[in-house]
Amino acid sequence: MDFFELTTEPIDITSVSRRVVPPECGATVTLDGYARKFTKQKDDTTRETLYLVYEAYEEMALKEMQKLIAQARQEFEISNVGIVHRTGRLEIGETSVVISVSAPHRKAAFAACEWLIRELKRTVPIWKKEVYADNEKWIEGEI
Amino acid sequence: MQIRVLFFGLTADISGNRQIEMELTEQRKAKYIFDQLLLEHPKFASHQLLFSVNEQYATGEEILEDGDELAIFTAVSGG
Repeated sequence: MDFFELTTEPIDITSVSRRVVPPECGATVTLDGYARKFTKQKDDTTRETLYLVYEAYEEMALKEMQKLIAQARQEFEISNVGIVHRTGRLEIGETSVVISVSAPHRKAAFAACEWLIRELKRTVPIWKKEVYADNEKWIEGEI
Repeated sequence: MQIRVLFFGLTADISGNRQIEMELTEQRKAKYIFDQLLLEHPKFASHQLLFSVNEQYATGEEILEDGDELAIFTAVSGG
């Protein structure tokens, strides 16, 4: 069973990972994306983030996640996909996104997981705000 | 005819709104609304913006209907 969800609660990575496991599979690749403290800027200085805030256009984000899963299934030999993205305030080190892909063989699972996170960052309407000691900034992706 | 426009993240901060209702007296393309919003909020112009109509990415060519939900937002940054 595929699944895609948004939550304001901490994400239990293991439970996401195990939910995608069917009997024909031999491997699951799980991405644990989490809040980074130090971010290098374009001018080579480093910003220290205190915490993050994620906001989503929820209904559209879920639709876009569903589309990505459908596309991934066409392109890769995979069995199931689970995507859970957190919103609201996240402390440093807390998990913001989990993507789990199960497949009969690991190679397809690795490739699909990498493709899914790349596409999610490009198309799913979720925004990240980095909050610093003296300032804050909505991060803008690339179109 | 009434439509709704949603703002998120930076566009919500700039516009000072998360949601507005707009009244249309004649048939318009989505682009008409997006152009209005850009005029109203000049700060939008320094950002790469994306648009949606009824929870789908929009080109602006969509003909609006009563009750449509539009959104205007910066390039996404989830993950």
